[in-house]
Amino acid sequence: MWFNSVFLKTLRDYRIAILGWGLGLGLLMYVVVDAISSVTATAAARATLVSLASSFAWLAEPIRVDTPGGYATWKYGFTILVLALWPILAGSRMLRGEEARGTMDTLLSLPRGRGRVALEKLAAMWVALLLMAVLIGLLTYLGGAHVNADYTFGDSLLFGLNLALVCGVFGGLALFISQFTQENRGAAGITGGLLALFIVVDMIHRIVPNTDWFSRLSPIYYYNLSKPLIPSYGTDPVAMLIMVALSVIFSGAAIWLFVRRDIGATVALPRWLSLPKRAVRPEDALPAHAWSLQSIYTRSLAKMAVPTFWWTVVIAGYAALAVFITVQTEKQLRSLFESSPLFAGLIGNLGGSNAGFNASLLGFFWVMFAALLMAFAVTQASRWAADEEDGLQELVLSTPQPRLKVILARFGALTTATVFIAVMTLALSSLAVAVSGLALDWGNLAAASLSMIPLGLLIAALGYLFSGWLRTAIDTGLLAFLLVIWFVISFVGPELKIPDGVLRLSAFYYYGTPLTDGLPVGDMLLVLAVAAVALALASVRFTRKDIAH
Amino acid sequence: MTTLVETQGLTKRYGSSRGIEDVTFEINEGEVFGFLGPNGAGKTTTIRTLMGLLRPTAGSAHIGGLDCWEQSTDVKRLVGYLPGELSLDPNLTGGQILEYFGNLRGGVDQTYLKQLIARMGLDPTRKFRQYSSGNKRKIGIVQAFMHRPRLLILDEPTNGLDPLNQQEFDRMVNEVREEGRTVFLSSHILTEVEQTCTRVAIIREGRLVRVGGVTELKGLKRHEVTITFANAAPAEAFKSLEGVEQVDALPDGHTLRLAVSGGLDSVVKAAAQYQVVTLTSQEPSLEEIFLRYYEGDGTAAREARDVVQ
Repeated sequence: MWFNSVFLKTLRDYRIAILGWGLGLGLLMYVVVDAISSVTATAAARATLVSLASSFAWLAEPIRVDTPGGYATWKYGFTILVLALWPILAGSRMLRGEEARGTMDTLLSLPRGRGRVALEKLAAMWVALLLMAVLIGLLTYLGGAHVNADYTFGDSLLFGLNLALVCGVFGGLALFISQFTQENRGAAGITGGLLALFIVVDMIHRIVPNTDWFSRLSPIYYYNLSKPLIPSYGTDPVAMLIMVALSVIFSGAAIWLFVRRDIGATVALPRWLSLPKRAVRPEDALPAHAWSLQSIYTRSLAKMAVPTFWWTVVIAGYAALAVFITVQTEKQLRSLFESSPLFAGLIGNLGGSNAGFNASLLGFFWVMFAALLMAFAVTQASRWAADEEDGLQELVLSTPQPRLKVILARFGALTTATVFIAVMTLALSSLAVAVSGLALDWGNLAAASLSMIPLGLLIAALGYLFSGWLRTAIDTGLLAFLLVIWFVISFVGPELKIPDGVLRLSAFYYYGTPLTDGLPVGDMLLVLAVAAVALALASVRFTRKDIAH
Repeated sequence: MTTLVETQGLTKRYGSSRGIEDVTFEINEGEVFGFLGPNGAGKTTTIRTLMGLLRPTAGSAHIGGLDCWEQSTDVKRLVGYLPGELSLDPNLTGGQILEYFGNLRGGVDQTYLKQLIARMGLDPTRKFRQYSSGNKRKIGIVQAFMHRPRLLILDEPTNGLDPLNQQEFDRMVNEVREEGRTVFLSSHILTEVEQTCTRVAIIREGRLVRVGGVTELKGLKRHEVTITFANAAPAEAFKSLEGVEQVDALPDGHTLRLAVSGGLDSVVKAAAQYQVVTLTSQEPSLEEIFLRYYEGDGTAAREARDVVQ
């Protein structure tokens, strides 16, 4: 049955993703909805939650955060949009990935039109997204039922649908961009960058007054107009239709271009948008004397250069933005609490003059940046595993380069990239602090930025270690799961009164709160030691294993 | 003559799956050694074990007296390698790929490298992803030859090459042999092995079934000859000829189909006694040689048929 059509075959390929993403995010929703009773146990706790939510309005609009639906909607703000990563990967692979692998030629040799093949694949992606939405909706409902939430099963399904719609927009966008790139990874990277950009664009109107017009440029804005888990807020059908329209436009344009271009080729960009081509005569092609071709380390560094640049833009750029967000948030809090005698003491801290208060507001951001840097390390560990699976190590290992040198040179390049991102984060945030006039201890800022490095190296070393036995997809999935579970343990764990022993299992536990407390030297050395052990074991395994073919 | 490559009871198993079993052979310095077998017979597994990419389950492999697993880095100083499936960074140009591997290997003479590029008719300015499969193969061949290794290990080297490039490749292999260097090449194309190799080994289902000179292999050849006469010719006139193993008369009454091992001289002379309209001779494929090799043993023949289907 599953091999009767392109649609069914593609849907079959997505079966693990449907279950993984649907159940994973669904369980996350279940946990956060279920946590409401512990965070609103007393009137004081409820008041603290409401005030805390106001100071984190940039994350998501705080509406009825003391209800299960309101709390989950605010708490997962844009974090839930992690689901968009799947359609981004699926959309970029859908046509371009098949072309790069050469399987599209075979597929198009069948008596089926190109348009139909593309539409069947697109339909499979949409069905997969909707099935994920159903799973997420179902588990969100079950979590709510456990704490007597005021939203219905229909509301839960609408929440899932709203999520699927915004994710579908990014899937369509990835499909569209892939018509212009030679590789699916390029399209995925650009769309991932746009996702991060659109999240920031949507945030702006919650931080800077009268910028609603600007945030409307982001698809995330329309996603946030519906909050089905808050029945009094409800759903905005027009916003949902806008997301459907955006998906249709991007996907339609992509398929229109696909049926008109050569297979394996890209859509030609206007000359002013194309990179200038250097004409090299064949006889002058060698020697190229390129720095990146001198060794495995330099070649690895060159391969990481573009992703490192974009991850630096996102993390370091966000760090600078976070400083300005903090200044703005303090201003909002100041105007909000000016008339309240209860918060009179707090007002004294506002205005950017109290370094400790500023550090605690910024602390959450830096944990997020550490998580992002770890996500970068996951992608690079995944590439290491994929290179072997794709046969790219075969010729390198046919040269007289010891296997130990090959793995260490590659890890060395990853370390360099990780250090670069952390240092740039420190540089840009320091600049933002200087420009905005925010009081902040520079030593602690340096500690917070540079302490991200051991966390990145830890997850990368674990990825290298797992790749000694596991296939790329499983290795990457395991690392992503580890990252999410660590984040959940540290982010939700304290609210759920998780024992200290379990909290210590998360790498974020050892990151601590360096912006307020300075460099946790012992903890960082411990993380580095674990990373070193993992790398040593990965190296031993790599030097003794059969190279995949 | 010194032995350059030596395997002794070389075995590689992938869990319960078959890899290679008890493979033993020697290659002398200066030889061009062919490794023949149908797809999935174990050619690539043997080669990847020699290259230190796979760890032998049992037995040993040595190149230049060095253990291929324990001393693989030193072994690779002696070797130029072309894998069966070539995967390289799609974003690098051919020139950049050659420079990169030249740097990792060392000892590449730029003049010789440029000569190789010219001989293969390769444009090194294009990105790897833009190359056709034949041009990708050329990149692989050039990188294997460019540092003048003592031993070339080439896994199905002419796959995807056009006839002109195949001829150039044959010349390059002959030059290597004339310089006293050694070539170990795998193939499933009999004529390629016949033209370039001095000795061959045949592998089937992971086991070596024959190692010997090319002339011995040629002895296994059986031609299928179809002769159409202007008038009916008696089949009996051909049955007793030297090398003729089978004669079938086709229903049209004018055509005979003969299975002949060895030379065709006696058949041609006999046919000349009659008025011949057409005469075609078809060389056996490797599969047919396999079937013939095992036809004395019914079980083996059936196994061999399974292998080639």
